[in-house]
Amino acid sequence: MPLLAIETSCDDTCAAVLDGPVVLSNVISSQAEHERYGGVVPEVASRHHLELTGPVVQAALDEAGMGLDGIDSVAVTAGPGLIGALLVGLSTAKAIAAPRRLPLIPADHLHGHVAANFLEPEPLEPPFLCLVASGGHTLLAGVTDHEGFEVLGETLDDAAGEAIDKAARMLGLGFPGGPRIERLAEDGDPDAFTFPVAMTRDPGLNFSFSGLKTALVYICRDLGDEGVADRAADLAAGFQAAVVEQLVSKVKRALDRGDWPAVALGGGVAANGPLRAAVRDLCDQRGIQFKEVRRELCTDNAAMIGSAARFSQPLAYPDYLGFDAFATGPRGSR
Amino acid sequence: MKVVGFDTATDDTVVAATDGERLAFELCLPPDGRPVHSQALLEAAGEAAAVLGGWEEVDRIAVGKGPGTFTGIRIGVATASGLSFSTGTPATGVSTLAALARSIGGSTDAGRVMALLDARRGEVFGGLFDSRGNALEPPFACGPQELVEHIRKADVSGDRPVVGGPGAVRFRDELVRAGLVTEPAGSPVHRLNGRSICQLGAAAEQTGPETLEPLYLRVPDAQLWLERDSNKEPGRSQSG
Ligand SMILES: [Zn+2]
Repeated sequence: MPLLAIETSCDDTCAAVLDGPVVLSNVISSQAEHERYGGVVPEVASRHHLELTGPVVQAALDEAGMGLDGIDSVAVTAGPGLIGALLVGLSTAKAIAAPRRLPLIPADHLHGHVAANFLEPEPLEPPFLCLVASGGHTLLAGVTDHEGFEVLGETLDDAAGEAIDKAARMLGLGFPGGPRIERLAEDGDPDAFTFPVAMTRDPGLNFSFSGLKTALVYICRDLGDEGVADRAADLAAGFQAAVVEQLVSKVKRALDRGDWPAVALGGGVAANGPLRAAVRDLCDQRGIQFKEVRRELCTDNAAMIGSAARFSQPLAYPDYLGFDAFATGPRGSR
Repeated sequence: MKVVGFDTATDDTVVAATDGERLAFELCLPPDGRPVHSQALLEAAGEAAAVLGGWEEVDRIAVGKGPGTFTGIRIGVATASGLSFSTGTPATGVSTLAALARSIGGSTDAGRVMALLDARRGEVFGGLFDSRGNALEPPFACGPQELVEHIRKADVSGDRPVVGGPGAVRFRDELVRAGLVTEPAGSPVHRLNGRSICQLGAAAEQTGPETLEPLYLRVPDAQLWLERDSNKEPGRSQSG
């Protein structure tokens, strides 16, 4: 039952072909353009999606070694995300599906990050705990079935990746910040500066990163431009350590409260080495499974959307003709 | 030639089907609070194709590629691309302004037409065309004062053009104050019809993705800010 999946919720134009849990192709076209803006500009992203969606869909089919005739259903991200960006993927997906009377499966982007863990090889079976952290979202998902997840905690302000991107900008590292902060932090002392690790005394499972960002603003102001340049590695190391510590402390608390036999990570921040190492250590201490997901399945991609779609409600033709995208999630995650 | 044509660059969702000179289907859905492009376009395009005997009978898909609202343009172009990919029917992009000009030309006895779209932010997208939608000068984006100058200049360079379209309605007060004639709001003169999209699409020499590149006529704000001040931070970080 090959399925074509399309994802355009942010700045990556993605298409994939899945046969059940097997990924036949997973094409991601990242928009380098946003580097010069220091962040994702919705209008710029939408323009690129329109240019790239056709070629990316074609590439996904080519790599899977099939034409549209081999496709049985079309999955697409319906939200949450940038509305103008989502509409490019959704309009394309609907228009591909309708003349062929194929079912359309709208999928939730966050469910996609969770569902990346259901893919071959070595799919993870629920129940498990999933930390989804990226530039757009930060949440702790309790996964007890394939069809959805429970939001156990989420950020009250900035997303983890958003905070890291802002820190990178303050340190003059440019966008995207994640890999640059991580690289620079390797040469720094994480204890050289004191960053507040917010929310650790908060009994809940929610996150907050705006205080951390403010702390960096003040430290940078005190150091001055030259001082910041001199101490950039220490600042990056300290900031990254504080982000990781908060994320891990909430995973730990969730493990204290529930009987979770495994932990998985999703989202761009999940590619961060120190975060992975810390969560792996935690899982080892507790004697539970740590699920490694390949980097291209952590960051935004269409294979994860196809995976979520396998466990979502398909809409038969013509029921989806009027289907519209949504900017904020029905799960109320943002 | 059998053509399915549509346009979502204005607030209306405009869809039509033509079989040679014959208009087989035409629909114009006004906004319902906000445009209904995403909800209504695909179903209407399917109906238009069905009237022609189904997608396998359709020779060409024509889509308005702007100028107009950015999101509207993209819904139209993405839909045309997807339909073309799915059915194998060649698609071609036509200028929404040219189609508007042809619509105005068809509903009046104008020799020349100044077609105007509402560009928001106190501006119009406009252009001078003959009555069949052939451009006589490059399209422009400007505010009402400059628009009055454009129209005055067009007035002296030949027979007086008929001024029409949603942009003319938007700035009718300013135009009338400057002594220029336009029909009141609600007049059919101002309406973009789907037939014009189909006819321009049928006449197009080229089809394919390169013809579907949108006519935005405006760069993204963030690009302006970047060019004005490289230290500005318009971006919203949301990667991954
Ligand atoms: Zn994501």
